[in-house]
Amino acid sequence: MAEAGDGAIQVQCLKDINLSLDKGDRLGLVGENGAGKSTLLRVMAGIYRPQEGCVKREGKTVPLLDISLCLDDNATGRQNIRLRGLFLGLSSEQISAHEQEIISFSELGDHIDMPVRTYSTGMRMRLAFSISMAVEAEILLLDEVLAVGDSAFQAKATARLREISDRAGIVVMALHSSPAIMKFCNKVAWLQDGAVRMLGECHEVIRAYDQFMHSKEKTDA
Amino acid sequence: MLKESLSSFLRGCRTWRLWTLLGWLDIQQRYARSSLGPFWITLSMGVMVGAMGLVYGTLFGQDMKSYLPLIGSGFVLWALISGILNESCFAFINNANFIRQSDVSLWVYIFQVLWRQMIILAHNVVVIVVLRIVFNVKGYDHLLLFIPGLLVLLLNLTWMSYMAAIWSARYRDVPQLIASCLQILFYITPLMWWPHMLKKHQWIITINPFSSLVDLVRAPVLGAYRSQLAGVLPLFLL
Repeated sequence: MAEAGDGAIQVQCLKDINLSLDKGDRLGLVGENGAGKSTLLRVMAGIYRPQEGCVKREGKTVPLLDISLCLDDNATGRQNIRLRGLFLGLSSEQISAHEQEIISFSELGDHIDMPVRTYSTGMRMRLAFSISMAVEAEILLLDEVLAVGDSAFQAKATARLREISDRAGIVVMALHSSPAIMKFCNKVAWLQDGAVRMLGECHEVIRAYDQFMHSKEKTDA
Repeated sequence: MLKESLSSFLRGCRTWRLWTLLGWLDIQQRYARSSLGPFWITLSMGVMVGAMGLVYGTLFGQDMKSYLPLIGSGFVLWALISGILNESCFAFINNANFIRQSDVSLWVYIFQVLWRQMIILAHNVVVIVVLRIVFNVKGYDHLLLFIPGLLVLLLNLTWMSYMAAIWSARYRDVPQLIASCLQILFYITPLMWWPHMLKKHQWIITINPFSSLVDLVRAPVLGAYRSQLAGVLPLFLL
């Protein structure tokens, strides 16, 4: 952390990130809290701009980054489908065409006409995820959001994500659960203090990361 | 830099479906479950114009027949100006949730404020129409000139809003500062009084850009015609 001239505090979150992903890649991001996983996802999504270097993306990018998930609490589920659809760059006609499919995938039933503030966390996630799936995403960025769904929905969601990567898309997800990453990802990047500590094949990185975390647990205890 | 900001502006314009929906949802939610709904806007404006008009018209010894339309149109326009500038301060602050998750152009949130205030204006215009009919204001020749006037006003408010939004997001004193400036401007802009009533210190009107901006829309509405473009054009230089 550094203090700039006007008293504002600047935080350097990421440094020297060199990463290139190709069609069909499913990258898992692991790292301790505050390692820069979410920040990296936001940079990939084009929401934060890097101060140095550049980000090159080819294809429709859909971010799903926060537990609030870009939903408007006071609007109904149906209104939120429109709202988030527009945020993701869908046209009005595309949204109407996909509406039914989104509602059925989210399994919200009659709740769809209730304000989102009455939803549980899992219901919100199901809605937001279903809307994002309706977009023909080529690059999907997920931040821990699937963790709040029940196991049935998680299985369904994982299957959908696999479909995306199979039809030549890229999925990047930050996750704390090593088994989930092993199940889904083919590549893993381990972030530490804003830099990539290790990048490579899934099992290898996860093994090293788990070992590191275990030894940290022991020294802390 | 210039090219980038222009493309961001155009991207913002193109997503009109998004900001019209955002603005509309705001209005819908603000008046949800109230029986009058958004017509509270019309009602409270009507009552305020009536009450203030009676008191100040009497204080200034004015003829109600011309004074009430003046104060009515003045208040409606000021509600638009102060509404846009006050609320644009929070355009980015209140939308942090959306901004952090989506790469849509930041102009979307400015247009959201403008659109919301345009909906409010549409409700308030009823007050002007009623006043014009009740007091039989003549002069329909130049009435439609209020449209280009309103456009110039909105264009100016657009850049002001964007600056207010950026500054407010960075320095949290700005919303307070803007609110109190607008309070002062309300009294020194000829809204409740005719410009000619200010015998001395006419310069207050001359240097206040809002008096020409307000006049540009109000003069046609009141059945007068005055070309004030010269006073407004310099604003675009900023």
